Formats: sequence, C-alpha cells, structure tokens
Amino acid sequence: MKKLWLFLSVSTFLFVLSACTLGVSSDAESITVFSERHYDTDQVLYDQFEEETGIKVNVIDGDADPLINRLENEGEDTNADVLIIADAGRLHRAKERGVLQPVSSDVLNENIPSNYRDADNYWFGLTMRARVLVYDPNRVDESELSTYEALTEPRFNGEIVTRTSSNIYNQSLMASFIEIMGEELARDFASGLVNNFARRPSGNDRDQAKYVVEGGASVAIMNTYYIGRMMYSSDSFEREVADTVEVFFPNQDTTGTHVNVSAAGVTKHANNKEAAIQFIEFLSSESSQSSFANANYEYPINPSVEAHELLKSWGDFKAQDINLSVLGENSYQATIIMDEVGWE
Amino acid sequence: MLKRLKRNINLFSVISVAAALLIILPMLNILIEILTPPSDAWIHIRENLLNTYIINTVIMIAFVAVFSALVGLFSAYIVTRYEFKGRKLLSWFLILPLAMPSYIAAYVYADMVSYTGTLSRFFRMINLPLRINIMNINGAIFIFVLTLFPYVYMLVRSSLSKQSASFSENAKLLGANKFIVFFRVVLPLLRPALVAGTLLVVLETLNDYGVVAYFNVRVFSFAIFNAWFSLGDTVAAIRLSAVLMILVFAIIFIERFLRGKRRYTLHVKGRPIERVPLRGWQKIFFPMFLWGIMAFAFFIPLFQLIYYATMTFSDVFGLEFIFLIINSLTLAISATLITVFIALMLANYNRGVKNQFKTGLLKVTNLGYAIPGAVIAIAVMIFIQDIDRTLYPLYRLINPDSGRLVISSTLAMLTFAFVLRFMAIGYNSIEASYDKIGEKYTEAAYSLKAGKIRTLLSVDLPLIKHGLISASIIVFIDVIKELPLTLILRPTNYNTLASEVFRYAREEMLQESAVPALVLISVGSLAIYFLTHYKKKGVPINVR
Repeated sequence: MKKLWLFLSVSTFLFVLSACTLGVSSDAESITVFSERHYDTDQVLYDQFEEETGIKVNVIDGDADPLINRLENEGEDTNADVLIIADAGRLHRAKERGVLQPVSSDVLNENIPSNYRDADNYWFGLTMRARVLVYDPNRVDESELSTYEALTEPRFNGEIVTRTSSNIYNQSLMASFIEIMGEELARDFASGLVNNFARRPSGNDRDQAKYVVEGGASVAIMNTYYIGRMMYSSDSFEREVADTVEVFFPNQDTTGTHVNVSAAGVTKHANNKEAAIQFIEFLSSESSQSSFANANYEYPINPSVEAHELLKSWGDFKAQDINLSVLGENSYQATIIMDEVGWE
Repeated sequence: MLKRLKRNINLFSVISVAAALLIILPMLNILIEILTPPSDAWIHIRENLLNTYIINTVIMIAFVAVFSALVGLFSAYIVTRYEFKGRKLLSWFLILPLAMPSYIAAYVYADMVSYTGTLSRFFRMINLPLRINIMNINGAIFIFVLTLFPYVYMLVRSSLSKQSASFSENAKLLGANKFIVFFRVVLPLLRPALVAGTLLVVLETLNDYGVVAYFNVRVFSFAIFNAWFSLGDTVAAIRLSAVLMILVFAIIFIERFLRGKRRYTLHVKGRPIERVPLRGWQKIFFPMFLWGIMAFAFFIPLFQLIYYATMTFSDVFGLEFIFLIINSLTLAISATLITVFIALMLANYNRGVKNQFKTGLLKVTNLGYAIPGAVIAIAVMIFIQDIDRTLYPLYRLINPDSGRLVISSTLAMLTFAFVLRFMAIGYNSIEASYDKIGEKYTEAAYSLKAGKIRTLLSVDLPLIKHGLISASIIVFIDVIKELPLTLILRPTNYNTLASEVFRYAREEMLQESAVPALVLISVGSLAIYFLTHYKKKGVPINVR
C-alpha cells in the first residue's frame, strides 16, 4: 500500500513538472517563432532582440514539413508569428498553403536583394548558400570543371556523387534548372547525371565529400556550408576531409551557380504582426547578419555585410539570376522528373 | 433481448467496447478517404514508384524474417539446451538489443563505417583497404535483424523451456538421431513461438521510419512519410497506407493458412528438458556465436555512443535535457498505464462465455500493432481534428476564448495513438497469464457473491501480477523508443529522447545525439533487467 502511495505521489510530481515544461505563456509582449534552424548563436541574437525591444522570442524547433503542416492544421488557432525555413522552395510551399501573409517593409526591401525575397513579399531571405562542386584536386583538375551540365559528359562516368532526390536541396537545384533550361533539357541533365553516379545516392552532403576523399568518386554536388562545418569540426578526420577537397563554383561563364536561402515569413494568423516584422528586420540588419550567417558558414544576405573568412577565401561568384520563388514553383515538377529518371 | 443486454453490461464490457470503438473509428475514417478520387501525385507514384516500393519492402522483410528467425532460434536453443559458462548472463543479455532502437543502431553503424568512422580507421590501421557501405537495403536488413531478433529469441526460449522432455525422449527411444529429433519433434513444436516472434519482427520492420529514411531505402513507410510531408499529399499517403495494410494482412493470412488445422497444446505438464554440457567444437563455436551477436547488436554501438557522449556531454546536458527526460518518462508511463488498463479490461471481457462478438472485437482491437506508425499517425490526427472541430461549440461554451484545436494540440493525441498501436502487446501478455490460471479461481469468487471489481482486485490481479508487470515493461520500452508516431503527433515544443536523437542525427550531429541515445538505451536496459529478474516468491520466474 505504501508503495502505491509512493508511486502515485512520484508520478503526480512528475506530471506537474512536465506540465511546467509544456508550452510557454507570458504577459510580456512576445512572438513565437517556428524555426527549422536553431543554433546556439541564434539564441544569443534572440536574447539581444529581447534586450533591445523588450519583445520575448519563443522558438519552436522542427523540420520544415511538419511545421508547415502544423501551421496549416492549426489555422487561426496557431500561436506562431514567424516561420523560418532553410529552403526557398519550402517557403514557397508555405505561401501556397496559405500560412504566410505578405508584409511591406522598406527596411527589408533595402537589406535584402530582390532575388532573395518573394516577389509578393511573403518571405524574406536571411542567409544564403551555394550548391557547388566539391572535388578531389588529385583526380580532377580545375580546368576540367565548368558547368553542371558538363558533369553529364563521359569524362565523369562513375565519378559523381550527390545525396538523394528526396532531399529538398536537390529538388531546389533541379527546380532552378527547369526554370533556366526548360523541362526537356533539365530532364536530360538529370538523366545524364544519374548515368554518371558513382553509387546509389546515400548519406547526407558531408558523406558525399567523405566519399570523394575515400576515392569512391571525384566530384560531389553539395552545399557550401557543409565544407565550413567540416573545416571547423571537432572531429579531426572531418577537418582533414575539408582540407583535402577543393570548391568550384560552376556556370560562372554561363548561367551562374545555384544558390538557395534560409528565409523568414510572417504567419497568416500571427498574433503580433508588428513585432514579427520587427524581428525579421532585426535579423536582416547589419548588426545581426554577421552572427546569423556565420553560425552556419553561410553568406549574409545583406550586401553590406562581409562574409566569413572561409567563404571570402573562395572569392566572389556569380549566382543564378532568378527569383528564388521559382524554386518552390517548380519543386513538384522537379521531384517528378527525378523520380522518372531514376534518381533515388 | 434487453435482459441479455442488461446482463452483459458491466465494467469490463463497457470499457472494452468503448475502447474498441475508439480504436476502430480512426481506421474507418481513413478507409473512407480512399474513396476520394486519386490525386496527381498518387498517379505519379503508382506509375513510377509503387513497384519499386513493393519489391523493396518484400525483399527487406523476407530477409529480415529469415535471418532473425535463424538467429533467434539458435540463440534460444543454445541457451536452453546447453550448459556453459556465462549462460545465465547471456540468457537475459540476449534480450538487451531490444533496448537499442533500430534507428540509433543505424546512425551509429553508418557513422562507424563512414570514412571518418571508427571501423574505417581501424581497417586503415591494420592496412585492410575495406570499404563498407551500409546505407542501403543490405545495411537495413543487418540492423533490423540485430535489433529485433530478441522478439523471436524471447518467445522461442519461453516455449522451449516449457516443452516437455518426454517428446524428445520418446523420439530417441524410437531410434531417432539428433537431427531427426530436432527437425521433426522440437522444431514443429516451436512453430507457434517461432512464427509469432518472426511476425513481430516483420511488423516492427514495416513500421520503422528512422532506419530506412537515413539509409535511403525505398520502402513503404518511407514512401508514406514522403507523400505526407514532401509532396504534401494526404490522398497519396493514405492510399500507400492502404496498400501496406493489404500486404500486412496478406502475411498474417498466409501464416494462418499454412498453419492449417493444426492445433498446438502448450500447457502440457511434463519434465523440462535437462541441459547438457557443450562438447568439442561446440565449446568454442556456440559461446563465440552468442557473444558475437551481443557484440554487434549491443555492445559495439553502445561503446561507440559512450565515447561520443564523453565528448559532447557538457554541451548537451543541462536543465533542458532533464526536462526532456521527464517528458519522455511521463509520456511513456501514462501511455503504458492506460494501455495496460484497457488491455486488462479487454482480457477480462474475453473470459467466460465466448461469442462471436467478443472474438471479433478482440481481433479488431489487436489490429493496431499490424498497422504501421505512419498510418496510425495520419488516422489519429485526422480523427481527433474532426472531433475537435465538431466539439468546437462545446469548447466555446466552457472557455469563450478557446481555439479550435483543443485535443489535437495536447499529448492526449499522441497517447491515444500509442494505446492504439501497442494494445496488442499488452493484451497478449495479460491474456497468456489469464490462460495459465484458468477461470476456476474467479468463478469461485463469484459464487461466493464477490462483485466483479472486488474479484478483479483481490483474486485475479495477485495471480497475474507477473504477466501484468511484463506487459507493462514491454509496452513501456516500446513507447519510449517509438519514433514515427512521436515525430508526427507530438505537440509543438514537446520533445522526447527519441525525437531529439532523430533531430541530432538529421542535422548530422551524431556525437551530440549520443547523450539522449544513451539515456534511452539505459532506461530500456533497466526495464529489461527488471523484467528478467523479477522474483516471485524468491524464485526467478524466467531464468531456467
């Protein structure tokens, strides 16, 4: 009997305790941010925002798709004010699902180049990354690399690796090609690329770089920030991998390298729209951009802010001249094409 | 007719029927959705991908079934039939891999064989240019067999230890040699246990999402998640779920068919088989085999995780982390309690006079286990949201400021899904215990005018205490390491150990994932330890 009481009291205590950990509510002004990215340095920025404006920032982490689904399901009842996602395509999806609202802000228009914000003002890019060619200089000479399309040539048979087609970054890559080359040529490209794969896509971007260093392939298609992450990894072997490979920005003489952004938008049923806009403006401002972008070795979106020294060492590059909304508009088609050509 | 109805209404029947309804309704809800016209995404999937999904899924579960059956069978056989040093330890150690969630094993092994991983570095050190790629269907099979074979092991071991010695001895007396005794006497008697265990393994494999997503293996659970999240297409997701469920039922049906009219008597009272010492080559091979399995299934990933945890412990551990553990525990405990309670009601309802209604009801409530987590998640979410929207006026009455999604934004939804999914486990264990004690004690109590509840509390419960506790522990372990349901249905901002491990692994922060992973594995291991060392009247129940 005593054991039963003990058990009951302990469980009640735990329940109460866990109820305390569930959810947050405060009387002070606050905004709730649904964010796909949450690095430690981000929290520092959010605290800084709270100091400057008195608005508390509640962050809820999650993967993009579940977050968007949740926003959609919650409808008017959501308590989210801001949505931050690591891919323009998904933000477009959020826009289409009707969970964002357009905002007009001169500050945002000034801080963010027009290609990197939604044409209808539904979302605003905050950091940028490029999807580049990472290669082993011992097996491939820089002069042999030129464009993405060239990767489908016989020279690279069995030499290319990249991650799965179900990953959003590759979907956005394909989406950009559909926009620039048209569907036919994009399909030819995908098909030719798959032909030259060194292995069935597996693993994440970093795994591709590792495979190149292992000698399994000579060129990997991956995001720039992973090189940064490996270069400064606590794992000495990852650092070794980052040191061995070289980075190449394709299509410099033609259509430009594919870039993507992490971006933020104000939710349709935000409780605190003004504060939400203020928050996004804050993140795009000169004072925050350095920290926000450097946290993940990305390029700051604000053109007056300098990039991390590693990124600067790669030099300037020409990016694709498209509004990133198309990444979302074409993503469904991109998935279909990749499925059809057998890009797993 | 009314009289009969009145007689049948009691605590057990009411709760059982209510529970059954709650379990069936989401499923029906989903089936109705199938009647809606197919979407473009579905047509695309059907034309380009469905065959691949079916083939990959069938291949995967076929190999997993065969290998886990073999590993489970042989390990159980060696542990029950032979005596050797370390046997007692191994007999419960071999269950420990269940505490290692498949997705954690997958992340760890993928890391270990990657270029910068432990195993690769080891191979390079000894100048062996071996490059293993585990992130494919073969790797998935490897992981599933290692982390799920204990289901077969436990059931076969239990059955073997109860098998009467007289069967094999009679066979020997009639001139059969060792092989004939094994293949024609022992093995056929093990059939129910072997099949039940393998079926459990197959269902768990079909349900997994963590492993196949990470290894990019194109099977059904992967497809369902993809359709639901990436393509944003509920219709395609539901249709994929329907195809998967047909596959599952086909498997169950084939098993029933193969069994034919055979009946198995499991309650033969007889002498248990005596253990013999190992001879010759067995002395080296058998322990090596068993310890090898333990190493690969449990200790190697465990040590790798411990190593990583020491590197990142101070980064990860903090107040947030403690809350995380509390969250996981309270969720698991409440889900377990509710599940076991309803299972108890159902088991009680099933006693006494059997009729078609009862049997049918029970079959349906046990269905949840066969349905993959992704499907359950979708069904439950839609169902509860519908309820919420219907009850909205009522919520408004109570609290004028109320939002629409009251239940769907709480833990209740996830807990409900857990109950749905794990009911079968709790029920089977409790029913087995009731079977053992029979009905005579209960009936004696009734004849002495004791009420149903009093009988339950004073007579039944003490008798089935062990079954109740094992049911609770097994459900608890399953809930705490569960991933797909948790990912989809948890309230925003409610993280569990499982979801955190997944998040870290997805963000390629494997070293950080080690800390919550280790907590998960420790809790599971502790639970298994209690399960196997629970003493009844001073005699350990299972250690034979």
